[in-house]
Amino acid sequence: MRLKTFFALAIASIGTFTAPVWGQGTVKIGVITSLTGSLAAFGEAHKNGYAIALDEINAHGGVLGKKVELDFYDDQSKPDQAVQGVSKLVDQDGVPLILGSYSSESTKAIVGTVTQRETPLIIPTATADNVMDSKSPWVFRICAGANDYAKATIAFLKANGAPKTMAIVYENTNFGQSNMKAMTAAAKEAGINLVAVESYEAKSPDYKAVLQRVKQANPEVIYYCSYLLDANTLMRQSREVDLNPRFFTSAGTGFAAAEFPTADKGAGKNAEYTFSVSQWLPEAKWLGSKEFDAEFFKRFNSHPAYHAIQAYSALKVAAAAINNAKSLEPAKIRDAIKNINLPSTPFGPIKFDNGQNQHPVLITQILGGKYHVVFPADAADIKPVIPAPVWAKR
Amino acid sequence: MVRFLQACADGLLTGALYALIGMGLALIFGVMRIVNFAHGAFLMVGMYATYVLFDYFKINPYWGFLPAGLFLFAFGYLCYLLFIRPVRNRSHFMQILMTVGIGLILTDGAQLIFKADYRQTNIDLVNRSMHFGPFGANVAEVVSFVIAIAFVMGLHAFVVKSRTGQALRAISQNPEIAPLMGINLTRIQGFSFALGIALAGVAGGLLLPRLYLFPGVGEDYTTKAFVMVVLGGMGSIEGAALGGLLLGVTESLTSLYAGNEWALIVDFVIFLLVLSFKPSGIFGRQRA
Repeated sequence: MRLKTFFALAIASIGTFTAPVWGQGTVKIGVITSLTGSLAAFGEAHKNGYAIALDEINAHGGVLGKKVELDFYDDQSKPDQAVQGVSKLVDQDGVPLILGSYSSESTKAIVGTVTQRETPLIIPTATADNVMDSKSPWVFRICAGANDYAKATIAFLKANGAPKTMAIVYENTNFGQSNMKAMTAAAKEAGINLVAVESYEAKSPDYKAVLQRVKQANPEVIYYCSYLLDANTLMRQSREVDLNPRFFTSAGTGFAAAEFPTADKGAGKNAEYTFSVSQWLPEAKWLGSKEFDAEFFKRFNSHPAYHAIQAYSALKVAAAAINNAKSLEPAKIRDAIKNINLPSTPFGPIKFDNGQNQHPVLITQILGGKYHVVFPADAADIKPVIPAPVWAKR
Repeated sequence: MVRFLQACADGLLTGALYALIGMGLALIFGVMRIVNFAHGAFLMVGMYATYVLFDYFKINPYWGFLPAGLFLFAFGYLCYLLFIRPVRNRSHFMQILMTVGIGLILTDGAQLIFKADYRQTNIDLVNRSMHFGPFGANVAEVVSFVIAIAFVMGLHAFVVKSRTGQALRAISQNPEIAPLMGINLTRIQGFSFALGIALAGVAGGLLLPRLYLFPGVGEDYTTKAFVMVVLGGMGSIEGAALGGLLLGVTESLTSLYAGNEWALIVDFVIFLLVLSFKPSGIFGRQRA
């Protein structure tokens, strides 16, 4: 028994000798995301992106000479839980800044709370533009927003035959409403006639009636604003009601998820020919994109969608800001984030203008079960297939 | 016109599953005068049971719903013995608290075991559709419909023809006199509770391929089941089945003509109107 203890101690002490030399204690960074619940697929992407960034940061000496640790809080895909997450992370664990959450709904809910607690928040993925409405000096967003999505989609349509009619189908959540509003404004400005604007409840078992209404309006373009499971059902039922617009376009998210073109977790063949806005692809021209993709594939045996690299980038920005601030004081970290200027990251240049990172939006199309960039022309790796073949001919 | 008929057909496909759920609730209410607020939670358990069979044993949900239904029958009987029997002669308030409590425990238990993740069974059948002239239907939904209707008819025949069914009806007509005629009250009540739960489980299994699954999925169905039972006349099993079909069609037509955001509102407006103006239900009779 005593011998065992001796060996255990001996092994433990070897461990301490071979580990890298760290300063006293660790630096905890708070992360809120949706590890469970309806958005768990995206929370998983976040987690994997954070894991890669964390290992890179610690391999390069951590921050302020200390090892970085992530303090995760699972918001279960619910906004009220995200707010509780802020209290837990800030009040109990004392983290100096927070990254998160995944959805626009949860993120909108915590903007006020972090501002009240004077804790910086870096938003990786929430695209609803109202998360930036408060103009809180504590809030920074890595991703492009709903307005950028709508503008990029319109620009793409103009360059490809300039269709005249559009229908918007959106989920009745903050994300869906925000993208619907952005597209409504952008379409009007472009002189595109909105022939149908339909919302749906994600929990409803049947969207066919909604799609029938859209079919009746006979639009050239449909713009879907949906998460993953509803995106799968929408495309399946689009086929069932034989809905055949020239363009199936979408506000990313479910339509841009890595799972979406797959048969076991996504829409499989029904996803073919759909267009989506995208913030990043493994083929993106930015330095380090391919390496990120390769590392991600090595670890998780799947290719990442943009949600993962946005999480990765958020953590990298946080680490750089803490190092620049040379302090763990939230106010100093906030000022450092404001002044951050990373001209070359795998997610493109990162720099905040009134809290918003100016990030370009790509348009992708699923062909042969893979996402391809089709717009803008200088980033495109393939020509878009237009119109989408009618269902009977697929 | 095609759109109208198509929406009616889609509504019936969903409505048949609603009918199963409503009949289960009506059966329990008719025989025991207990409003089962845990009905949707039992439906959710049925979905998870079917899902587990699918995920671990690769059993197609269209077979898996049967063992899931049997499991729910046993589970329902156990719940009756442990929780329902002790409160069957207590006030309605006690009974409501008891069933609400069972529902909460089941939902949170599922969250503990399966986490809050949404799950989906992507079986081949779901991606097939069939066409009749201008009309189309999803094959999986048609299969669910056929099975559900078979269960509805089977239950109806059982209640009308079999001896146990007669005993069920006797108790629902007069719970004081029936035992004097030699009917074992506890056995029949336990049986009907378990049968009602099993029907919810079967409906859950049939719903699984076309919906997705998470611990709170049943909540909406508890309230929908109330609407059906009220539409059909409290405690009338056939009435609840018709109420279910009617609800499915109403939802589908509301979504088509007014938009999906109105579907739930219309459900409950009908519910309130029926309660206020025709509390015995649209189909008239008070009980089975």
